[in-house]
Amino acid sequence: MASAKSRPQGKKAAAAEDEGMDPTQYYENRLKALAAQKAAGINPYPHKFECKLTIPEYVKKYESLNSGDHLEDVEERIAGRLMNKRSSSSKLFFYDLHGGGAKVQVMADARKSDLDEEEFTRFHSSVKRGDIVGIIGFPGKSKRGELSIFPKTFIVLSHCLHMMPRQKIGPGSENTKTTDVWVPGSARNPEAYILKDQETRYRQRYLDLMLNMEVREIFKTRSKIISYIRHFLDEQDFIEVETPMMNMIAGGAAARPFVTHHNELNMRLYMRIAPELYLKELVVGGLERVYEIGKQFRNEGIDLTHNPEFTTCEFYMAFADYDDLMKLTEDMLSGMVKELTGGYKIKYHANGLENDPIEIDFTPPFRRIDMIGELEKLANLNIPKDLASEEANKYLVDACLKFDIKCPPPQTTARLLDKLVGHFLEETCTNPTFIINHPEIMSPLAKWHRSKPGLTERFELFINKHEVCNAYTELNDPVVQRQRFADQLKDRQSGDDEAMALDETFCTALEYGLPPTGGWGLGIDRFTMLLTDSQNIKEVLLFPAMKPQDEPTSKESNKKTQDGPPSQELEKVSLQS
Amino acid sequence: MEVALHPLRLKQLFHLAVASKPHFLHGKIRPLFIVRCSSSSSSAAGTAVVGGGRNRRAPSSATSTSDREAVRAIRIKKVQELRGKGLDPYAYQWERTHTANQLQEIYRNLGNGEELTSESDHVSIAGRIVARRAFGKLAFFTLRDDSGTIQLYCEKEKLLNDQFEHLKTLVDIGDILGARGSIKRTEKGELSVCVTSFSILTKSLLPLPDKYHGLTDIDKRYRQRYVDMIANPEVADIFRKRAKIISEIRKTVESAGFVEVETPVLQGAAGGAEARPFITYHNSLGQDLYLRIATELHLKRMLVGGFEKVYEIGRIFRNEGLSTRHNPEFTTIEMYEAYSDYESMMNMTEEIITRCALAVNGKLTLDYQGVEISLERPWRRETMHNLVKEATGIDFTKFGDDLTAAKEVALQSLDTGRDNQNRSSIEACPSVGHLLNEVFELAVESQLLQPTFVLDYPVEVSPLAKPHRRHAGLTERFELFVCGREMANAFSELTDPLDQRERLEEQVRQHKKKNAAMVSEASDTDDKNKDVDDGAYEVTLDEDFLTALEYGMPPASGLGLGIDRLVMLLTNSASIRDVIAFPVLKTQQ
Repeated sequence: MASAKSRPQGKKAAAAEDEGMDPTQYYENRLKALAAQKAAGINPYPHKFECKLTIPEYVKKYESLNSGDHLEDVEERIAGRLMNKRSSSSKLFFYDLHGGGAKVQVMADARKSDLDEEEFTRFHSSVKRGDIVGIIGFPGKSKRGELSIFPKTFIVLSHCLHMMPRQKIGPGSENTKTTDVWVPGSARNPEAYILKDQETRYRQRYLDLMLNMEVREIFKTRSKIISYIRHFLDEQDFIEVETPMMNMIAGGAAARPFVTHHNELNMRLYMRIAPELYLKELVVGGLERVYEIGKQFRNEGIDLTHNPEFTTCEFYMAFADYDDLMKLTEDMLSGMVKELTGGYKIKYHANGLENDPIEIDFTPPFRRIDMIGELEKLANLNIPKDLASEEANKYLVDACLKFDIKCPPPQTTARLLDKLVGHFLEETCTNPTFIINHPEIMSPLAKWHRSKPGLTERFELFINKHEVCNAYTELNDPVVQRQRFADQLKDRQSGDDEAMALDETFCTALEYGLPPTGGWGLGIDRFTMLLTDSQNIKEVLLFPAMKPQDEPTSKESNKKTQDGPPSQELEKVSLQS
Repeated sequence: MEVALHPLRLKQLFHLAVASKPHFLHGKIRPLFIVRCSSSSSSAAGTAVVGGGRNRRAPSSATSTSDREAVRAIRIKKVQELRGKGLDPYAYQWERTHTANQLQEIYRNLGNGEELTSESDHVSIAGRIVARRAFGKLAFFTLRDDSGTIQLYCEKEKLLNDQFEHLKTLVDIGDILGARGSIKRTEKGELSVCVTSFSILTKSLLPLPDKYHGLTDIDKRYRQRYVDMIANPEVADIFRKRAKIISEIRKTVESAGFVEVETPVLQGAAGGAEARPFITYHNSLGQDLYLRIATELHLKRMLVGGFEKVYEIGRIFRNEGLSTRHNPEFTTIEMYEAYSDYESMMNMTEEIITRCALAVNGKLTLDYQGVEISLERPWRRETMHNLVKEATGIDFTKFGDDLTAAKEVALQSLDTGRDNQNRSSIEACPSVGHLLNEVFELAVESQLLQPTFVLDYPVEVSPLAKPHRRHAGLTERFELFVCGREMANAFSELTDPLDQRERLEEQVRQHKKKNAAMVSEASDTDDKNKDVDDGAYEVTLDEDFLTALEYGMPPASGLGLGIDRLVMLLTNSASIRDVIAFPVLKTQQ
C-alpha cells in the first residue's frame, strides 16, 4: 500500500506509477489497501449510490456548454468506471469516467473538494484505473472544450483489484473513440481494439466490454434484432410459447444431441435440437400462430459458425404456405435491416479483414432459385427424376466425382445433392436468396410440392453463402409423415446419423389433424453476425463455449475423429429441418 | 389453396337421422349436447345416429382401442375417397377474411333471423369442427378457431352440386374446414356463416375425446396437450395468458431501460444457487458440462462489463423431483441494476406483478384456489425476525451465537414432538441463521397468503447477498411470498470479492460435509451405491466469476422471479403442469 501511495506526484505520475509493477504485486497491494480500510472500520463496498443521471444522459444534457463554462450551482450525481487517470499536480487529477457506452472527464480539483488538501492527495493516489466510483459535483467544460464533472464528493464504490490491460493511448488522452460510434450494418475492425487477444476477449467478456466500446453495441444490436422479430410476430397475432428443452426423444432435426440424466426419475433425457415438433403439436391444439425464440443444443464441434448452444426463432402459421412465408421473410428481414441500419445495404468483411468489405443488399424482393432446375443448369446435369432411385444416386456419385466434390460416406442421395448445391448454388447467394423446392428425400418434414412430383414446398434463405432461414409448407398427412420417417430410418441404417428418428407422439398428433401450416426457422446468431460484421460466431455470443484451457490439443483432435464426420457436414442439415 | 369440389357420386357411409327438433348451438357457451366423437357416426354399419338428442351419446367409449382403430380405418378410407375425387384431404393454404371472434364482434347487433347477403358480408373462415348435426337438407357445424367459435349454417340448395352430401358424409368432428359464405343470425340467435362453399383442409384420423369435460385422464392431458387443448378451450387460454404475462414483464422492464441478454445454458460449473444440476458431456470438447441452475453469475459479469441494467428471461434446470410446484426445467426472469439496492427491487417487483395482473385479469384482486388475494400496493414488508417472533413468540435476536439454546427453544415452541422430520431438520441446523430460516419455513411460510416481502435473511443462508448495512449477521435480501409460496428472491448484491470467495468456499465445505454424512449413512444400508448416487453431487467454485468480481462490480441489486409460479397465481392454476405446455412426466408404465 505504502509503495503505491507515497510516490512523488510528478506530471503523469499517477498513470505511470504502477506501469512497471508485476501484476501479482499489484494485486497484493490492492488487497492490502482493502484490508486496511476494513480494519479501519470503513466499508470499501458501499450499498448504494443514488445516480441522478446516467453518463449518456449527462453528456446529452451538458454537451452544449461552452468551453470554460462551470455551472457551480448545479449538483449532479453520476457513476461509472474510471478508465484513465492522469494528474498534473497533487491537487489536480483527471479521469475518464465510462458508463452506458459513453464517457465523461472527471476533473478532480483539490480546491473544489470536500476534502482538505492533504486528504485529497492521499485519497486520489489510492484511486486506481478500473475502480467504480460515484461522483457528486458540478458540470462544466474545460478550456479545451472537454465536457467534465468537477467533483465535490468522490466515492469509490467498487475496486478493481487487477491491473487493467493497458489502454493504448495516442498523443494526448482525448482519444477519438467517443465520436467514432459504430452502427449496425457498418464494417468493424476488431484488429484495432484496445484489447485484441481473442482468448481474453471471449473468456473474460467483461474486460472486452469495458475496454472495447464497440462490443456493447454488438450485443445491443443482438437484443434489438430479437426484439424486432418479437414485435413483428406479435403484431401479426402470433403468441410466444415455451416448449421443453429436455425430451425423451430429440426430434425435429437431424443432429447429435446432448444426453443427460434425471436422477429421481432415473430417466435419460436429450437436450432439444429443434422445437419444431412441439410447436406443431400446439398448432394441432388450436394455437394457430405460435413462435418460440430460444436455445437449441447440438453436440457438435466448435468453429467459426458453430457453438454447442445457439438461438433460433421458429414460428408456425396455420392456413399459410411457403409462398406466404417467403413474403413474410422479405418483409421481416428487410424491415429489420432498414430499422436497425437506416438502409437496405450493409457492409460485411466476407473475405477477411485484410480485404475490403462487401455489400449485401436486403432490398426486397429477394432472388428465388429453384434448387434442382438451377443445379442442372449451372452444372449442366440431367438428374434422374426419381430421386429415390438407385439410378439417381449413381448419377450424383458420378457428378460429384466429375466436379471433384468430396462427399464423405455415407453417400446418400440427400447428402450428395447437398454437396452439389453447396458447390454450385450457395456460392452464388451473396445477397439474400431463396433456394426453393427441395427434394422430398432432403426434407422429411416438408409437404410434397403441389405440382412438382418428388419435390417439396420448402425454401432456405441464403445470405453471404450461409443458410439463415429454413421454412416449408408443413407436411400434415400423418400417413405420409410416417412413411418419411421410415425412409429416414433406412438412411440411418446405412450409417447416416443425421437421419431423423420417429416421434410417435408427434405422428399421433398429426392424426388429430394439423391445419395447413407454414413453418419457419431463423438462426439468430448467424443473422446477428451479418448485421455486426462478425466473421466468428463467438463475436455475437456473450459467453461462447471455449475449449478447456491448458488442454493438450492432440487429445482434442483424436476425440473429434472418433465422433464421426466433421461438424461442418453435421450442421449442414439446416437450422430447422 | 381451396380445392373446388367436383360433382361426384358417392355412397353414403352412414345415414343421418333427422331429429324432430333441431338444436342450435350457442356461441360462447359450450354446447352440452354435442356428440363429441364421431366414432358412432362413422361406424361402418351405417346405422349410428348423429345429433339430435340432448343426451344422445354413443354408448361405446371412443377411447377404447378397437373403436379408435375402427375410426381411424374409416377415416383413412375417406382420405382415399377424397383423393379419388380429385380433392386434397390435406390442403396447402386457406385465405381467411375473419376469425370467429371478429365476426361475433362485427355482427354483434345483427337481429335474430336477419341475414346479410351483400358482397361485403361475404366472409371466409377456417377452423376445427367441434360439433355437427345434420338433417335432410340442413346441417349445422360448430367451427372453432384460435379466437372462438361460430356456427356454419349449411343449406343444401345454397351449395353447389353435391357439396351438401360431402358435408354430411365426408366431414367428421375433428376435421379442419375452410368455409365461405354470407352472414346470418338464426331465429334462435346463433350467429352463423351461411355456407356457399367449403373445403376440407385437414382430414383428422382420430376421434376427439367423447367426454365433454374432455380428458378425465389427467396424465393424458399433459402427455397429449394438443388433445387437452382441443377438448378444453380454456386450457389454450392459460397459454395465451402466459404469453401475455411474459410480454408484460418484458414491456415493464424495458420501459425501465433494462436490456435483454442471453447467457449460456451449458456451463463448466453450475453456480448461483444450491441445487443438483443436470450433467451432460460435450463430445468434441471431451468435457462434462452442467446445465445452468441460475443465470445469476453470468448476469453479474455483465454488470462488471459495464451494462448497468440487464435481464434474462430463460429456462433454468434442476435435477430434482417433480411436484405440483416443481418441473425439472422452469422459466425465470433475473434482472440486475447497477447502483441500486434491494429497496428499489421491491418496488420493481410490485410494479411487474401488478402490471401483469392488470394485463391478464384487468384487476388487482384474484382468487387463487379459493383464497382471495389482493395485489393492491404497497405490499407488506416485514423482517424475517419479526415474522418468526410474531408466529412463534421466539425472539432470535437474543440468542447471539448460542445455537444449543436456540434449538432448545425452537423445539419446545414448535411442539415437534410427534413430527420427526421437523425435529431432525431443526437438529441438523449448523448455525443460528440456518435455524432461524428453518423455523421461518416451518412456522411462517405457509401462512403468508397476501403478498409479503420477507426481509433481511441470515447471512448463512444467503451466500450471494450483501451484508446488511445496519444489522450484523443479516443480509439485504428479500423474498416475496404469495399464497404461502416463494415467488421472488432478491438482494443487494455482494460485491466484495474476498467476502464472496469465503462465502462460496463455506458453501462448498457445508456441501461436502452433507455429502460425507450421506455416504456414512448410506454405508449402513444395503443399497449403498444407489443412495450415494441419489444424494451426493459435486459443487465447484466458479473461479471465473470470482475473478470478474475482482475487476470490480458496481453496487447493484438483483431479482429472480419464477415465471411459472406467477402464471399459476394469475391463472388460478393448482399445478405447475397446468402452466407448462409439455411438463416432464414419469415414464409411462
